[in-house]
Amino acid sequence: MSATITADSHATAHHGDHGHGHGKKGIMHYLWNTDHKVIAMQFLFSSILYLVIGGAMALAMRWQLAFPGHPIPVIGHLLPSTVVSDDGALIPGGYNMLVTMHGTILVFFVAMPVLIGVFGNFLIPLKIGAGDMAFPTLNEISYWLFSISGIIMLASFFAPGGAPGTGWTAYAPLSSFAKYNGTPLGQTLWCVSLFINGLSSLTGAVNYITTVITMRAPGMSMFRMPLPVWAIFVTAILLIFAIPVLSAAAALIIFDLNFGTTFYKPSGGGQPLLWQHLFWFFGHPEVYILVLPAMGFTSEILAVFSRKPVFGYKAMVYAMMVIGFLGFIVWGHHMYVSGMNLTLSAVFGVSTMVIAVPSAIKTFNWMGTIWRGNIHYTVPMAFAVAFVSMFVIGGLSGIFMAATPIDLFVHHTYFIVAHFHYVIFGAIVFSVFAAIYFWFPKMSGRMFNNTLGWIHFWMSFVFFNLTFFPMHNLGLAGMMRRISDPTVYDCLRQVQPLNVVCTIGAMGLGLSTIPFLINMFWSIFKGPKAPANPWHSTTLEWTLSYPIQHGNFPVVPTIHHGPYEYSVPGLEKDYLPQNEKAPAHVTLEAH
Amino acid sequence: MTTRFPFRSLGSRFAGWLGAACALFLAAPAFAEQRSGNIWGLPPCVTVHGEKIDSLFMIIFWLTATVFVLTQSTYLYFLIAYRKRPGHKAFYSHGSNKLEIIWTTAPTIVFLALAIYGNRIWDEIHRPAPSNSLVVDVSSYQFGWQMRYPGVSGKLAPIDVRKITDQNPFGTDPADPLTSQDVIASELVIPVGRPVHLLLHSRDVIHSFYVPEFRLYQDCVPGRTIGWVWFQATRTGNFQLACNQLCGTGHYNMKAPIRVVTEEEFQKWLKPRQEKNAASTAPVATLTRP
Repeated sequence: MSATITADSHATAHHGDHGHGHGKKGIMHYLWNTDHKVIAMQFLFSSILYLVIGGAMALAMRWQLAFPGHPIPVIGHLLPSTVVSDDGALIPGGYNMLVTMHGTILVFFVAMPVLIGVFGNFLIPLKIGAGDMAFPTLNEISYWLFSISGIIMLASFFAPGGAPGTGWTAYAPLSSFAKYNGTPLGQTLWCVSLFINGLSSLTGAVNYITTVITMRAPGMSMFRMPLPVWAIFVTAILLIFAIPVLSAAAALIIFDLNFGTTFYKPSGGGQPLLWQHLFWFFGHPEVYILVLPAMGFTSEILAVFSRKPVFGYKAMVYAMMVIGFLGFIVWGHHMYVSGMNLTLSAVFGVSTMVIAVPSAIKTFNWMGTIWRGNIHYTVPMAFAVAFVSMFVIGGLSGIFMAATPIDLFVHHTYFIVAHFHYVIFGAIVFSVFAAIYFWFPKMSGRMFNNTLGWIHFWMSFVFFNLTFFPMHNLGLAGMMRRISDPTVYDCLRQVQPLNVVCTIGAMGLGLSTIPFLINMFWSIFKGPKAPANPWHSTTLEWTLSYPIQHGNFPVVPTIHHGPYEYSVPGLEKDYLPQNEKAPAHVTLEAH
Repeated sequence: MTTRFPFRSLGSRFAGWLGAACALFLAAPAFAEQRSGNIWGLPPCVTVHGEKIDSLFMIIFWLTATVFVLTQSTYLYFLIAYRKRPGHKAFYSHGSNKLEIIWTTAPTIVFLALAIYGNRIWDEIHRPAPSNSLVVDVSSYQFGWQMRYPGVSGKLAPIDVRKITDQNPFGTDPADPLTSQDVIASELVIPVGRPVHLLLHSRDVIHSFYVPEFRLYQDCVPGRTIGWVWFQATRTGNFQLACNQLCGTGHYNMKAPIRVVTEEEFQKWLKPRQEKNAASTAPVATLTRP
C-alpha cells in the first residue's frame, strides 16, 4: 500500500507548522497561505481576471474582423498606442499583438490555472482523503510564480514596440530575430513569462503526483480514485514531460534575440523548423493537458446527476492513459505542410487518427453513463451535457485536419480556429463552468442562484455556437487565420457577412459572462447556506461541512469501495458514499 | 426513493430548449450557403489534386455527419427518455466489457482505414513533378512575392539558398549567363492544363503559399528550397495568392495576383519578356528588395 503517509499523520504534522497561518487576519490570509483550498481560490480569482482580459481582447479582434478599420467601441481607447490608432481602431501590428496575447493568456493564464491550479488543488486532497498537498509551501510558491509570470506577460504591452505579434505559437525566425518582428523586448518578456509560468506548472505537477501516490487514505486504491483525480494525475505526468521542452525552446529564443545566437536562423546554421518541433512537442500534449481534467470533471458530474455509476470506469482510466501516451507522438500533425519530410507527415497522420480512438471510447462511455439513468437537470449537469456534444463536434472536425491531404486545404484557416475553439471553449470551458457550479457549494459554503445559472448556460450555449460554427464555413471559404482584415481578399469579401454573424455571437458570449460573474460574487456573500452534500454525491469532499478546517478530515476516512456507487439496488438512498460500508445484503458490482 | 434537491430545477424545459438551440445552430451555416454560391462554403476547385482532396473531403464529411447525427440523436433520446420522473430509479450498471471492445475496435478500423486512404492520396499528390512541368521560382519576403520564370534557354538559373541576401534576393550566381535571362514577375501567370512545378523560397521568415482554389498550402522556409509542390490547373481564371503564416505587421495584406491562362496567352505573356532579357547586353541588373 503506497499510502504510508496517511491524511491523519499529515494533518497533525502540518498543523503545527501552519497553525500560525490560521491566526493571520485580513488580507495576508489570502495572499500567503499554504492551505490547498485557499490556493485554489487564489488561482480561481486570478484566472477569472485573466479570462475577462483575454476575452476582451477576443472581442476587440472580432470587432475588427467584422468592421475592419472602425474604432472599437468602449474598449478602443483603453488599449495602448502600440495596439490601436488615435481614433481607437486596431492597427495591423496591434491586431497581431492581440492574436498573440489572447492565445497565450487563455491557454497559460486561464485554462491551465483554472483546470489544474484550481481544481487540482481543491479536489485532490479532498477526494483522496488527505490533509493537504504533499508540499504545501511549494504549492503557494507555485501560485506566486504563476502570478509573477502573468504580470510579466501583461507588461510586454508597455515595452518599446509593444507586445509580441508572432502568435501564441511564436514561429521562429519571426519571433527570434528583432529585425523581423520589431518587438524584441516584448518577445523576450513573453519567453521569460512562459519560462516562469513553466516553473509554476512543474512545481504544481510534482506536488499533484506526489500527493496522489503517497497520501491516499486507507482503502483508497488507485482504482477507487474518482475520475477527476485520475485525470489530473495523468495531466501532471504530461506536464512533467512537456513543459521543460517549451521552457528550453523559449530560452533559445531569448538567446537568439538578445545574445546573437542562431539556433533558429538558417544564415547562422540554425533551423527554423527546430522551434516548431520543440513547440509542438510541448504544444500537442498541452491540448490533452487541458482536455483530460475537463473530461474527468464531466465524467463525474454526468454520473452524479444521472444517479448512475460511471459507465466503464476502468475503460475511462485506460483511455486517459492511452491519450496521455499517444499525445506525445502526434505533434507532427501541426506540421504536415511546414516543410517537414513528407513521409513523416504520413506517419503522424496515422498516429493522429489512432488518438481519436480513446476520445471516441470516452464519448461512448459518457453516453453509456446517462443511458437508463435518472437524469436531474441542474446547471452543472447542463454544462456537462453540453460538453459532450461540443466535444463531439470538435472531435469530428479534427478528423478533417488529421487527414493529410485535407490539411493541404484547411491548414491555418478558420476551420482550425473553429475546431480548437469547439474543443477549448465548447468542451473545456463548459466543463470548467460545470465544475465551478458543481463544487461552488463546497468552495463557498453557499448555493449559487439557479435562475442566473440557467441564463448563463443558455446564453453561453447559443452564443458559443453562433460565434464558432460559422467559422467552419469561413475556413472552407478560404479565410486565413491571423489576418486583421479579410476584406483585402476578393474571395473573402463575399463571406464577410459571416464574419459579422461571428462577431454578434462573440458579443453575446462576452455578455453571457455577466450573469456568471454576478452570480458568483453575489452568492459567495449572500447565497443561501449550502448543505454539506447538496448533490447527494458519493465522494469524500461531500462528507465535510463548510468551513473545512486546514487539515481537512477530523478523522481519517476509510474507503470501502469505488467512487460512483449510485442507485445500488437494495439501498434506501440512491447513493453510497465511499467511506460508508455497503450493508451485508447489498452486493456491489465490480467495476 | 427519489432524491430531493434543494433547488427547483428548470431542467424540465431543458429538452425542449435543446431542440430550439439545435435549430439556431443550423441557422448560421444556412446563412453561409446563400452567400458563397457553393453549398459547403468551398470555393471553386481548379486543380487536378484539388479534386482528389475534395472527394476525400466529401467522404469524411458524410462519415462525420452520419456519426454526428447518430450519436447526437441517441444522446438526445437518452437525455429526454431518462430524465427524472417520479418513481423512476436509475439502472445500476458499471458498464459492459463487450460494448467497450466493440466501440474500441470499430473506430480503430474506421480511423486506420481513413489514415491509409488519406495517405494514398497524399502520396499521389506528392509524386515527383512531371518532366514537362513549367518550373517557377516563388520567392516570398516581408511582405510580398516575386516569381522567377526561365529565360529563352528554357532553364532557370541555378541558385544557392545560402547566397540569398537583400542584394541577391533569389540567391543566383551573377557570373552565370542564365541569371540575366531569368524573367522576374510580380504576378503568377500559369498555363491551364500544364503541370506547374514550384520552387518555394523565403528571404526572411516563414511565409506560406496558400491558394484556396488550388486546395494548396505550403510553408516557405528560409534557408531551404521546398521543391515538391506541383499542380495542374483545370480551368482559367483570376485568383489570389495569400500568405497564410503570420509573418509580421504586413502579413494580412501579403498577396499577389494569380492568372491561369491558356497556353497561347501564356506564351504571349512570357515570350516578349524572355526576349527582352536576352537582348539586354547590360551587366546583370541588381535586383533590389522592393
